[in-house]
Amino acid sequence: MSDTQLQDQDLTEDHGRQDDRDGNGFVVALLSIGAAIAVPLLLFLSLKFVLDTFSGLPDLVTAVIAILVGVIGIFFVYTAVDKGISKLLPPRLGDRVRPYAWSGPAIVLLTIFLIYPAINVIQLSFTDAFGDAYVGFDNYAYVFTDGAMLRSLRNTLLWIIVVPVFAVAIGLGIAVLSDKLKRLESVAKSLIFLPMAISFVGAAIVWRFVYSFRIEGSGEQIGILNGIWTSLGNAPVAWLDQVPWNNFFLMVIMIWLNTGFAMVILSAAIKGVPEDILEAARIDGANEIQVFWRVIVPNIMSSIVVVLTTMVIGVLKVFDIVWVMTGGQDGTEVIAERMIRNMFTFRHFGRGAAIAVFMFVAVIPVMYINVRRFREEESMR
Amino acid sequence: MSPGITGTMTRRIAAVAAVGLALTACSVSTDGDGEAAGQEENIGEISMTGAGTGVDAEITQTLADAASEGEEFTATYTGSDSFEQDVIIQVEGGTPPDIAMFPQPGAVIEQAQQGNAVALEDLGFDIAELEAQYGEYLVSLGEYEGKHYGLPLDVNFKSAIWYNVPAWEAAGWGDPPTTWDELMALSTEMAESGTSPFCLGTGSDAATGWPATDWMEDIVLRDQGTEVYDQWVTNELKFDSDEIKSAASRFGEVVFGEAGGTPFVFGGNENISSTDFRDAPDPMFNDPPNCYMHRQATFIPAFFPEDMGLEPITDYNFFPFPDIEGNSGALIAGGLAAIFNNRPEVKTFLENYITPEVQCLIGSGDATQISGNVNVDVEGCYSNPIIQQAAGVIQDALNEGTARFDASDLMPPAVGSGEFWNGMNNYTDNGPDNLDDVMQSIDAAWPTS
Repeated sequence: MSDTQLQDQDLTEDHGRQDDRDGNGFVVALLSIGAAIAVPLLLFLSLKFVLDTFSGLPDLVTAVIAILVGVIGIFFVYTAVDKGISKLLPPRLGDRVRPYAWSGPAIVLLTIFLIYPAINVIQLSFTDAFGDAYVGFDNYAYVFTDGAMLRSLRNTLLWIIVVPVFAVAIGLGIAVLSDKLKRLESVAKSLIFLPMAISFVGAAIVWRFVYSFRIEGSGEQIGILNGIWTSLGNAPVAWLDQVPWNNFFLMVIMIWLNTGFAMVILSAAIKGVPEDILEAARIDGANEIQVFWRVIVPNIMSSIVVVLTTMVIGVLKVFDIVWVMTGGQDGTEVIAERMIRNMFTFRHFGRGAAIAVFMFVAVIPVMYINVRRFREEESMR
Repeated sequence: MSPGITGTMTRRIAAVAAVGLALTACSVSTDGDGEAAGQEENIGEISMTGAGTGVDAEITQTLADAASEGEEFTATYTGSDSFEQDVIIQVEGGTPPDIAMFPQPGAVIEQAQQGNAVALEDLGFDIAELEAQYGEYLVSLGEYEGKHYGLPLDVNFKSAIWYNVPAWEAAGWGDPPTTWDELMALSTEMAESGTSPFCLGTGSDAATGWPATDWMEDIVLRDQGTEVYDQWVTNELKFDSDEIKSAASRFGEVVFGEAGGTPFVFGGNENISSTDFRDAPDPMFNDPPNCYMHRQATFIPAFFPEDMGLEPITDYNFFPFPDIEGNSGALIAGGLAAIFNNRPEVKTFLENYITPEVQCLIGSGDATQISGNVNVDVEGCYSNPIIQQAAGVIQDALNEGTARFDASDLMPPAVGSGEFWNGMNNYTDNGPDNLDDVMQSIDAAWPTS
């Protein structure tokens, strides 16, 4: 998304400058809008024509025809629009309008599937349970006053801090240590990376077994954690009921899943640190710990930031793990869980939407950091 | 940006655009079918949808076949796990099924509110006649602004207390208790013998707490009677009222009870919400048993330990939840059918469908539903002895007007699927002294508008 936006912005800027020179900005803008709509509109009309002609066929046949017409048609439509611009417009004007014709479908799709829903959600967040009457800021007041919501904010904040920090720390540690291994590096890294391939729901189910609890005296403990715990002579513990520690037991799952990701990125970054710098540091008498903290870490700082911010965004959206493990019970609520709960279980569309808007706003600073860093890197190239 | 990247991007955009437009096209073409279905003439096909799949779907189709035998139409049932979302999409998209079997009365009322469902009166049903078949209560569940939109279907029985028959007999506990006082006396006796009387687990992932709400409902229904129960469902009577708190304290007698150092609930109250409801009955079948009784709906034998080859009646059985203060009753859950298309054959079909003869088939297979029709012959129709027993209790309760629908399913979801569960978890985990707080927090969740 950010790419497209940036690109858009750049285009607009260029465009503006040229307009000042040529003084026909209005015509260009009008033609650009026309060109942007041209491709999707033509394709839609041709599809509609074909489907109206062939109506009454079984759904499956209609679908196949629609896909064929869509896929083949789009090439013709693009060619036609492109040719049309070359033929009808003077070359300089055509050059300026053409990019919009090509990016038209992307803009239209983005509007339909991203911008429109976003506006809709914002509007919905000011309405009542059924999305009918406007209630002002009531739903936002709920977000910041309801007990469960406040717990979810506190917990999400904890998640955002704990998970990325631990995942990056452990990932970095493993990356550095495995870098020193001669033969088994790939094996060690593969093992750590393996959980990345498991879906959140899958991981949550695996960990349900880890944390499984049976009442003392009703038979063998099938959960490994309680298995170990009881073999040490303790009474079995219902891990997921231990307020507030159950939050951390859930975070462990996310850390387990994300450490591999951090390790792979950071390992690549470490290998990118030039050997001569390390060499120079060692010759100057730095020990390995100093080399790590003063040379390696500053060198891979940008990678660490990327991993951290990516993870923060992911963690902010954490839902599956909590939903499967505890369903937000026993003080383990998180924001996304509250959103789904309000929207679909309680069917309070206004509140659900308000939480969604809040989450969206909360991501913006992180996105900003990511985009700025991206631009810095681009400008260095 | 290099030309190569532009090329890839364009191809991607093109593909996405094509798929998007193709989808639009599909929905356009189905809209056409919907218009044809709106006409009021016999098109010879009736579509039914519902949440039941597997054996439940087979039974429904068997009934549908029987109801359309010798008629000029066929009826097809399609079950889906995501029925409740699917049906909304179908209705909003202008292609509703003819008949949708909603597992919750609330969803039927919602369709009536939005003007999508056809009233039974408008279809030509005689409500008095329906009441003679299903009892007034079940018919009244689908009432909205003076008209009825829900046709009662099958129900299931929730007020069952299961026990391990051989263990029960070996311990010599005698006849099952029929009153609350007897139940408490027996529980004390069991606890004093060193074994907890009850197994109770309310863990259910994202829905943890619902089995405790069922307990509460069973107790309110008997402790206070049907009138208070109905007021409670609509929040005319608050959770934080003497009536409901009296029922909650009775539940507390079970949850926090103990005698001779043995808690009434195996594992103690603090483990209730961390024990999954599917695993909860298992300790009852340990040797020696860890508990003697387990209260749960008629579906629970499916979760009894598999490898023990347990047989109904001989290995496990149930007795109805005992009377309190002389009140008996039956807690039920079940579906209502909403009708979306007013065509003559839909009415003919439904009239056939609800006859005792067709409804009788409900008990012929492996399914555990019970017909809501009180004229179905209990002994002749239900092949499963446990279900037969439950059907008897339900019919009596429907006839006497003491059957009541699961209250939490009738309450607004923010309460019935939210704070009521949380409140019960809080009560079983941290009670019994927090009862006032629990009740107030549930009342606070009740939607104001």
